[in-house]
Amino acid sequence: MKHINKALIISFVAVAMTVVSCDKTIEEPQRVGYTPASVDDKAGTWKTYVLTSPTDVTIATPSSTSSAEYIAELTDLKSKAANLTLEQQQAVVYWGAGAAYRWNEIARELAARYNTPPASNAEGKYPVPDAANPLADPKFPFANPPYTARALANLSVAQYDALVAAWNYKYKFKRTAPSKVDATVAAALPVSALPTYPSEDAVVAAASAVVLKAMFPGEVTYIDAKVAEHTNARQWAGMNVKSELDAGASLGTQVAAKIMARAKTDGMGAANNQTLTAGMIESAKGRGQTEVWVSQESPLRPPMLPNYGAVSTWNFDRATLVALRPGPAPLPGSDQFNAELNELRDINKNQTREQARIANYWADGAGSYTPPGHWMRSAADAAHEAKYSEVRMARTLALVGTALQDAGVCCWETKFYYYTPRPQQYGVKTSVGLPNFPSYTSGHSTFSAAAATVLGSIFPDRSDEFWARAQEASVSRVYGMIHFRSDCTAGLVCGKNIGSYAVARGKTDGSGL
Amino acid sequence: MKKQLLIVALLLASATTSWAQMPQDAIYMPKKTICAAAMYGRSNWNSYWENTLKRENFNIGTHTTQSASLMAAVGLSDRVNLIVNVPYIWTSTTAGNLMGQKGFQDVSGWLKVNALQYKGFSVHGLVGASTPLSSYIASFQPMSIGMGARSVAGRVLLNYKHPQTGLYLTTHGTYTWRSTIRIDQDSYLADGHVYNTNEVAVPNAMDAAVRVGILRRTFQTEVFAERFTCVSGDNIRRNDMPFPTNNMQATTVGWYGKYQPHNVGFNARVGYVTDGQNMGQSTSFMVGLLYQINLK
Repeated sequence: MKHINKALIISFVAVAMTVVSCDKTIEEPQRVGYTPASVDDKAGTWKTYVLTSPTDVTIATPSSTSSAEYIAELTDLKSKAANLTLEQQQAVVYWGAGAAYRWNEIARELAARYNTPPASNAEGKYPVPDAANPLADPKFPFANPPYTARALANLSVAQYDALVAAWNYKYKFKRTAPSKVDATVAAALPVSALPTYPSEDAVVAAASAVVLKAMFPGEVTYIDAKVAEHTNARQWAGMNVKSELDAGASLGTQVAAKIMARAKTDGMGAANNQTLTAGMIESAKGRGQTEVWVSQESPLRPPMLPNYGAVSTWNFDRATLVALRPGPAPLPGSDQFNAELNELRDINKNQTREQARIANYWADGAGSYTPPGHWMRSAADAAHEAKYSEVRMARTLALVGTALQDAGVCCWETKFYYYTPRPQQYGVKTSVGLPNFPSYTSGHSTFSAAAATVLGSIFPDRSDEFWARAQEASVSRVYGMIHFRSDCTAGLVCGKNIGSYAVARGKTDGSGL
Repeated sequence: MKKQLLIVALLLASATTSWAQMPQDAIYMPKKTICAAAMYGRSNWNSYWENTLKRENFNIGTHTTQSASLMAAVGLSDRVNLIVNVPYIWTSTTAGNLMGQKGFQDVSGWLKVNALQYKGFSVHGLVGASTPLSSYIASFQPMSIGMGARSVAGRVLLNYKHPQTGLYLTTHGTYTWRSTIRIDQDSYLADGHVYNTNEVAVPNAMDAAVRVGILRRTFQTEVFAERFTCVSGDNIRRNDMPFPTNNMQATTVGWYGKYQPHNVGFNARVGYVTDGQNMGQSTSFMVGLLYQINLK
């Protein structure tokens, strides 16, 4: 018996050791640099969003590669690219994955970090985040889906417009890459035929920093550190001399200032105008909406950005937005409404594990980078896998990003136009958490259909896959029991129409893509 | 069927001393005896620590976790016992609209060895392991029924029991290794970083406890203080939900008692969390029905 016990103890420990791996390091998919499939040498002529012409912004004429000034820069570059620490090598690889790719990822992380709703205070009120005091409680911003959609759209447009201008100057000045001027410069990353003045990395870093500092004013120090690491990494990698980085920083800053000038007048400042809701409810009731949305939180929380529907769109005008708005939702009490409510009650009783999985996968709620962030990640990954040049990556993100913000604006306008109730007003629970604004139409459905339509146009081989994902994201809100089915089907249709405007823009932006 | 009933009747009749025991005591089932227990537990909290901030949540109200478990302690020898536990758990809240979760949680097993016995003093070594019994959702905190991780634990337990009075003092310390888990989402935020993967690190944990009580032939009564703490992990963000990566900590005080004059017995436990972090301030109780089977 003693031997049996000993054997049992040993086998027990052995089983225990195999079921639990001691390694807690989380492996994330690693993205690395590549030589672009095409350098897109004509991108300096592509249509920009805010810039009227690449020459709206200017940079100094570079010195010749035979000048003493340049040779001194080369010497400096060689010393910086030598004897790298492990940390410096890691920075080279990290930023080598792509400038727009990384800054989009950073923006998504910032959005996730700031995506928590303010807590109620002792008086039962929800303090409004204060841009002048961004790190106080509640932090500014509350990076909810509409806020994040706008931040990512402005970021992508700044990156794209700045890169189009940069391409213009690159092919005007035709500065050869340092490692091609001097073979003793060891380039740590793939070197393409793209001229290096100004540095596209410095352009993207500077443009991104201007937009992100405005969108996340509590993160100035963090963003500055990222810019410094990014630009330093270009020297550690032997990719850019200092004048190329300086010119890029100047150009990126100039372009982003123009983007932010537009952003300051896009109506976002009035998006949280809560004095409008009483009139909105009256109008909705006047149109026959018998039962309206009421906050399900305690204490009652004012709805999220009720006037976001008035914010400027990117790819169509106001009249088009009104025309895009879907017809009314099934009225409470109607047969259609009751059937859709019963569908949710059935899920409430018998939600399958697969329904829960889909609801969770697409939840993108508090503490996440939101549905726009989810789709921007898909867009960036697809463009990375297709080995897009920096400017084509930015074009992809700008097309998707602007479509996502347009979807947000259009959807919010619809939500507060009809002011329809949530399923939770009829006793249904949720497995994902309930957003605090009217039900019809589903934001997830609108965002996802718009993004999938644009992505399907850019990556036609993958269009079925993107559309299937949009449909899954849409129905996930039924499975999570926070939307009626009509909210989702109408949102999908509207989102697809919204996306078609970005597709049309892409077809006529001079890229030939 | 009749034969089985007869065996049960014989077992009942042959009752001698009963020894229902747990992974946190120095009691052993004698060789060839099994103690089966059916237990019901209920734990409530209406305030919790969001990081270190103690708060209420009007959209949760009172959070309740209930459990029904089956446990068996098997006397492999007089000094080696195997304890297995299977809990079914369900959660609910009194306010808000979060859907309760339910299901079989984690099967756990402990192997308990009385390594050293000198007069009233004894030293015990325990090795435990657990693994989820179902694909329950771990990321839907605080409604989730568990963390979803597999675990392995090592525990050292010291005991002194005064032979004449049955008065005892027990203390033990544990280290629990917990596996990473896979969640339904393909990204999540932890400690300020967005992880672009579905793999989540659940922090390892330690616990320690002191127990003072009296153990007699038919009953046991003790008071205890327990401290549980993760060895790493992040904190709940301001006004956000908990997550499996959180560094959960709690200090619990309570009472445990058992009465088992023959084969059939009862046990009960009450606990109250006095201090914590990233956890609810719960009040919990458990009652159990014990039944001893002698295979001799």
